[in-house]
Amino acid sequence: MAFGVLADVAPLLLGGLLGWTGLAKLTSRTLQRAASESALMRVLHDVRRVSGALRTLGAVEVALAVTLLAVPGRPVPVPGLAAAALGVGFVGYLVHARVTAPDSGCGCSGGDSAPITWRAFARAGLVVAGGLLAAAATGTWWSALQDRPAATVGIIVAGIAVLAMLSTDLDQLWLLPLRKARLRLLGHPLDGTAGPVPLAATVELLERSLAWGAAAPMVRSALIDHWDADGWRILRYAGVCRDRPVSVVFAMDATATMDTTQNPAIRVTMIDELTQEVIERPPLAVMS
Amino acid sequence: MNPPIDRRSFLTAAAVGGATIVGASALGGLDPASAFADPTPSLDPAIDTAAFAEGRVTQIKGSALEVAGSHGDQHVLQITNGTSIWKVHPTSINAIEVGDGLYARGVDMPDGTIAADAVWVNIVNLHCTVSGIGRDRIQLAHGQNSVVGNVLPGTTTASYLGGAQTSDLSGMKIGQAVQVLGAWRPADDSVDLVTMWVGH
Repeated sequence: MAFGVLADVAPLLLGGLLGWTGLAKLTSRTLQRAASESALMRVLHDVRRVSGALRTLGAVEVALAVTLLAVPGRPVPVPGLAAAALGVGFVGYLVHARVTAPDSGCGCSGGDSAPITWRAFARAGLVVAGGLLAAAATGTWWSALQDRPAATVGIIVAGIAVLAMLSTDLDQLWLLPLRKARLRLLGHPLDGTAGPVPLAATVELLERSLAWGAAAPMVRSALIDHWDADGWRILRYAGVCRDRPVSVVFAMDATATMDTTQNPAIRVTMIDELTQEVIERPPLAVMS
Repeated sequence: MNPPIDRRSFLTAAAVGGATIVGASALGGLDPASAFADPTPSLDPAIDTAAFAEGRVTQIKGSALEVAGSHGDQHVLQITNGTSIWKVHPTSINAIEVGDGLYARGVDMPDGTIAADAVWVNIVNLHCTVSGIGRDRIQLAHGQNSVVGNVLPGTTTASYLGGAQTSDLSGMKIGQAVQVLGAWRPADDSVDLVTMWVGH
């Protein structure tokens, strides 16, 4: 009974899906770009041929959709079988693309260049299943709608929901609002406590300081080592001073950030790497 | 690269006794973000230009890294005591693995190698949109691609509206535009989140 309704409704859902993706391919204004990023480029090697192929495929999908919607089910199961064959073709194409060019797009619904994921496979699988179901239909979808409206509408709504979940294009419409609502209801999952001042904040403050400006001509490396001692945060860089390799060491308040001070007081020392002696009166030119 | 404790206490004592310079400027720095800046000429008159290398590590031999560049070029990087190595944190050559990607800045040597001053491993700089927030990850939309960003407690920081970097990540919102500096994980193609800038 339920299978009968499902089979009768399958042409409507499948026709809707193929009509949508077909029209998207036919009317897409960014088809050339999607074509250039699609895995078909590996086969046809030419953007115009790929977009031509995608447009032709779109026309076939629309024609199939119209046939499915207008003459569903028996006595002619041809549209359903044709759609199933198209679905098998999609799966084969996706497998080929996934193996040869995993980063390329599928061009499945015209304008998108989303990479091929399990959702594309699931959608192609549904085209096969839908086509076979449509071929097995005993009645039409409009008579199913008249005879058992509740079950039919339920299946249509569920079908649309499943198809929407399998389309990356529609994430903006339902997935992001759903995630936002979850954050609002269950609270923010990430830590709200600031804790000790992170290293990034200290480095940020250092790099916007006059001390950094004075020492920068001698600094060669990025941050090599850092540690906290007695409320100080010590940052070590490698550099060159008077043609000798040196460690450029900064000592700053471990609790200071850009938010807490406008004028950080930073101590700068150069240590000769070969002799391990502090360089007296290093050439620190403070420009203000 | 953790030197012995006595070396650190020696450096601490020396640093605390150093000349104090007070004030702010806007010169910019050698932080990981600067890996994406153009290579700047060295201020040392003996060296005309800084050498710059980018690619995947193909072999590690002692302190030498063989790197295959994205454009078919080959580099050999020499790591010295004065080389900074960044891989999420400041670290040592032991943290580098074959297959890692890197950016490096250094000095051309007469033998054709590059003496590296700074190496940034697997560093990525992405402009994306927050598409999901979980307990230990942030989902990001980068163009049509989705990227999983791993939140590292104690490391991942965010700056809101030009404020200082903070480990308070509770201000992240879905739909927000964010610039992410992080480290790509070759194993699962995710990104370890290091620094994020929101609303700049």
